[in-house]
Amino acid sequence: MSKLDQLENMYDVGLKPPMLRNLIRHYLPSGDHPLNLNASCFELPKLVSILKTHRLLSESDSHSVVPKLINAWKSAVDDWLSCLLSLLSSDMSDKCWVGICLLGVTCQECSNQRFLTSYSVWLDKLLSHIQPPSDSQLVKIASCTALSDLLTRLARFPEVKKDANSLAGKLIQPVLKLLNEDKVEAVWEGAASLLYALITLFPASIHHSYDKVEAAIASKILSGKYSDITLKKLGYCLALLPKSKGDKDCWSLMMQKILISINDHLNEAFQGLEEEAKSNEARRLLVTPGKDMPSPLGGHTSLEGGSFNGTSSERLPTATISTLIFCCCKMLTSSYPVQVTAPVRSILALVERLLRVDGSLPHTMLPFMTSVQQELICSELPVLHAYSLELLIAIIKGMRRQLLPHSAYIVRVITRYFKRCALPELRIKLYSIVRMLLLSMGVGMAIYLAPDVIDNAFSDLNSLGGEDFEISPANTGPALPQPSNRKRKHGIKTGSQEENQVGALPKVGESNTHQMTPITVKIAALDSLELLLTVGAASKSDSWRSSIDSLVIRTAINSCKRGWGNVENNVFLPHESASAWADFQLSSLRALLASFLAPARVRPPHLSQGLELFRRGKQEAGTKLAQFCGYALFALEVLIHPRALPLDDFYSADGVSNVFSENTYPDSQKQNTLFFSAAQTTEQGAIKSHDDLYNKWLQNEVENENIADENTKDKTSRPNDSSLANVLEVSEQEPAAADAEVHMRNEDEIVVQPRRIEEPIPKSQEIVSAIAVTSPPAVGTNLEGGEIESKEALSACDRLNDTDHDMLSGVDKVDFDTVGGKTSSTLPNAEKGSSSMAHLESESSMDSFPDIVDADPDTDTDAESI
Amino acid sequence: MNVVIASSSIDGGIGCWDLQTGAEQLRYKTCVSPPHGLASIGCRFLACSQLRDPSATSGHVLYWSWSKPQALVKSFPAEPIKPLAANTEGSYIVGGGSSGDIYFWEVATGRLLKKWHAHYRAVTCLVFSEDDSLLISGSEDGCVRVWSLFMIFDDVRQQQASHLYEYSFTEHTLRVTDIVMGYGGGNAVIVSASEDRTCKVWSLSRGRLLRNVLFPSIIDAITIDPGEHVFYAGSRDGKIYIAALNAESSPTNNYGLHIIGSLTDQSKPVTCLAYSAEGNLLLSGSEDGMIRVWDVKTKNIIRMFRRSKGPVNNILIVKLPYSLSRAESKVQASSRRHEISLQPPLEKYANSSDEDLDNKAIITLPDMIDLPSYLSSQLINDHIKQLQQQGSSAAAEMEVKRLKHDGQRSMEMFQQLKKVYDNLQEFCVNELLNGQPMEGSKGN
Repeated sequence: MSKLDQLENMYDVGLKPPMLRNLIRHYLPSGDHPLNLNASCFELPKLVSILKTHRLLSESDSHSVVPKLINAWKSAVDDWLSCLLSLLSSDMSDKCWVGICLLGVTCQECSNQRFLTSYSVWLDKLLSHIQPPSDSQLVKIASCTALSDLLTRLARFPEVKKDANSLAGKLIQPVLKLLNEDKVEAVWEGAASLLYALITLFPASIHHSYDKVEAAIASKILSGKYSDITLKKLGYCLALLPKSKGDKDCWSLMMQKILISINDHLNEAFQGLEEEAKSNEARRLLVTPGKDMPSPLGGHTSLEGGSFNGTSSERLPTATISTLIFCCCKMLTSSYPVQVTAPVRSILALVERLLRVDGSLPHTMLPFMTSVQQELICSELPVLHAYSLELLIAIIKGMRRQLLPHSAYIVRVITRYFKRCALPELRIKLYSIVRMLLLSMGVGMAIYLAPDVIDNAFSDLNSLGGEDFEISPANTGPALPQPSNRKRKHGIKTGSQEENQVGALPKVGESNTHQMTPITVKIAALDSLELLLTVGAASKSDSWRSSIDSLVIRTAINSCKRGWGNVENNVFLPHESASAWADFQLSSLRALLASFLAPARVRPPHLSQGLELFRRGKQEAGTKLAQFCGYALFALEVLIHPRALPLDDFYSADGVSNVFSENTYPDSQKQNTLFFSAAQTTEQGAIKSHDDLYNKWLQNEVENENIADENTKDKTSRPNDSSLANVLEVSEQEPAAADAEVHMRNEDEIVVQPRRIEEPIPKSQEIVSAIAVTSPPAVGTNLEGGEIESKEALSACDRLNDTDHDMLSGVDKVDFDTVGGKTSSTLPNAEKGSSSMAHLESESSMDSFPDIVDADPDTDTDAESI
Repeated sequence: MNVVIASSSIDGGIGCWDLQTGAEQLRYKTCVSPPHGLASIGCRFLACSQLRDPSATSGHVLYWSWSKPQALVKSFPAEPIKPLAANTEGSYIVGGGSSGDIYFWEVATGRLLKKWHAHYRAVTCLVFSEDDSLLISGSEDGCVRVWSLFMIFDDVRQQQASHLYEYSFTEHTLRVTDIVMGYGGGNAVIVSASEDRTCKVWSLSRGRLLRNVLFPSIIDAITIDPGEHVFYAGSRDGKIYIAALNAESSPTNNYGLHIIGSLTDQSKPVTCLAYSAEGNLLLSGSEDGMIRVWDVKTKNIIRMFRRSKGPVNNILIVKLPYSLSRAESKVQASSRRHEISLQPPLEKYANSSDEDLDNKAIITLPDMIDLPSYLSSQLINDHIKQLQQQGSSAAAEMEVKRLKHDGQRSMEMFQQLKKVYDNLQEFCVNELLNGQPMEGSKGN
């Protein structure tokens, strides 16, 4: 690079070619001397991250690039590739490994053009490394992964589909060979991921070797000897395998084979635990009488597939069964090109069968099972139960609405199991199934599922534990550094709480069987309650509604009384335990919001406490909780100011809202530019679109003898009378002429809006005319918009007078209550607004109504002291 | 593309127009529909019950695919079916029989999953709730009933319960002509119209009558605006009345309590209504064979569609699938036709003999895209980790310690051996030295 090419900054394209060369020089082992593992190998992640961040292999840039640079870059990438290829052909397996890995990254990162020109060469090179002469397992795994990356990229070019399919076909045999002949589990894992890429991206390539692939995978799964993750990967491949044929029968056949295999394994495992009839029935559902049995999975008769036979007394085929169930789940939830026939009934029967076995010996049978065997089964049962619940989840997902004919059966299975199930993980799964059912089956389901959900949630949420015991050592609240004053507070609080617990302890024994409910179960219970409230609170909820409402608020208050959980991942704790507390709080607040918003006949009884919680939570800036609390306050606003808005502005055609916008504003704008410029934009829009809402408020005025203040709807009606009188007195001082004009305009108004405005107008007049003392010419025009005027005055005050802010903008009923009680001269907000407006407009007006002006700071201080 | 679909009680086919442009689309042939007999099955195809002769003891149900004018599938239910409805997904069809029975079919297999006696007289209209979990039926005897589909399929609960329905509203005195359901799941309102000249608003959550609106004439069709401010009622005097739900209504009104206005075009009786949320349009079908499109804001007619002959008695607004609304390629069209021809006809009787089918369900698996992602860079990290673990300094440190320990022990051993050797040597030397004098003395 010549010196003229001064680099601008790190985004300069000119930087990239030399950077790449530098990487080649520093990180890639050169041809002759042996690789030093510690020095260069461990630097590979760094190399990859530099490659990726600077997109060094992309050979293109959004900015215009000079041809010289392009050439330089091209040759640098050429060098890079030739270097990689020489590494690939090296005898040393470690060098080979480096080359293969980096080629995989290159497949992902290089330019389209380069990829298209050289992918077949790369594929051949990589292919040679998964075939016999190669022996290092790391090299084999890396080659599989690199090949799958190559295929992933290749699938993005539909124009080479034909070629790609034939190339992919070449891979099948070597992969099968790896699966069948290699002895190392890690290699199979690599082979499985390559197989997965092949099935999903080039299904047609598998078509011819379908049976062989099935046999290879099945033998691994049926042997059941390998690690969970490997088996799962293989199982997933098996589940996707029918895609390669893509017809209806293929899917059904595979499903049937898997189910039969599961069934056979269960027959063996549950011998002595269940009656013979059960297994026969399951069998009858699987294979229609009169029809042929399908050939067993993978061509093996399932029980001779692996080591199972010999070791049945020592271990259960749990791994095999669970992998096969996992296959079923994946089959039900992955996409498939055509509609399929799913054996719903037999899957459900399988689930029920699994859930029914709880390790107890049936009374009718002679105990020909040793206690060792029983212990063995009992230790494995939780895993099997968990998988059968997974299967249930999968079938609900897969069937969607078509589950309807079977929904009653599922609900019965679940409710029955819920009563017996005591393991936290399983209960969490059960709750999630309940939620899925509620959501997908809607109100009709909620009516019938509600009692069970409530029973279980009650017992889970009422039981002691979780929030008080388990979390407190890990609890981030008091233990971690926080602002000092808060810390002390918490310290005291927790102390007293522990005493409470001591007092409460004796209750534990009597409460229920699972005394200590882990916090995660409580979260699941709360989430389910939330959903039940949102879906089913409207229908036939009288019997349970109030108890659920109080349970939810109790839980929420309990969860929040010790401060907020830390969501940040504490490096010293495993992630779950750190965030569990915060999740619990979030869930309890979500359930609380649902209990407020769910349709009910009465005003939510705990609304004020809830609002307080949300307001406190909102202050915890930067947490999910604060975000949710902000949302909750926003959503509750509608509850506090209910509105039923027309879909469209039906009245605009009649011209009602136009009256306001056209007649009022131009005139008054001249008078009160200060206030209008502040409030016009918001207020004008609001009036136009929410005309109906506005009218409602005026109607309220008639009823309440009150000037509309949204916050004090019904609270301020009493003190109002005296203060109104004050204003009335003031207005008497006005010139008579102004009065006359007032009434004239008033009649105009009636014509326009015959239904509602009769009473309100004189009301707002008074305030407006009180303002008008200072600006007489404005009186006439201000009248129609009297209410608007005072509102605007309010919002103007908001801005101008910071101390007012809290009180005026808040929705704090409590504040107003106390204010009303303490100060005799309390004013409704509108009047206060008008007074301060007067105060702002002219000094002289202060003299005319001193008590109003006095009242203002009074209320402020009161409000602040609360 | 939103299309308007209209059918008639006199054979003139099903008309189909583009709502935006007004252009007429394909006309589907040979259809004689009763009111509420036309349904779009999950926007995949059209179904319509047929009733040529009102006194006939049998009727049939036809299917049309979007792309072909001829009916493709013809089913013969056990009795004449008038109202038809399908859930949003299009997996089930329900039909109301003239005996008061409700039939519940599965579309994919055509099987009659359930049949239950719902009303004492013929069912006149059927509506699914928003979440497809409830079914509302109206009948000639003036009864409106709400059914939970979950309950319908739960045989065990049915035996315990005294009745199958959730609610039964009996306040109408004559035939129920139309039912609509509002927004809000379990908290929704139901509006029903009847030949007793009233429309009644029911609360689903309380199971009670909320409002009774008496109209000047019989209302045959109602529709609700999505904001639930008002509902529109098409009447036999040719007017469409606007009645208040949430809207304010003054007690003094030309038409009666809660009626706040009307749309009128001097037409013959209004037989059906539909509301298009897109653009807030109200569509009305009339006995004079016209379909009028109203702008509800200005109360003006903005478009008219004319059917060739006969009164209109069903209007649907259907959003056609994207592939159909575009000029589709032949391949797609043929595959679609293939699909529709595979739809089995609806079965006549609940057929429990074929147990194999009973155990299975034809399902469309969820369309979840799950593609492999690039793995190489992750693999590098994993392998490096493995390699590092084998050669990690912690492991080396332990090894060194062990070696040191070994070395020390060897050292000790060596020392010990050396000591033994030294002792031995000393002993030998002593022996020699002592022995020599003895020998010497001997020799001496």
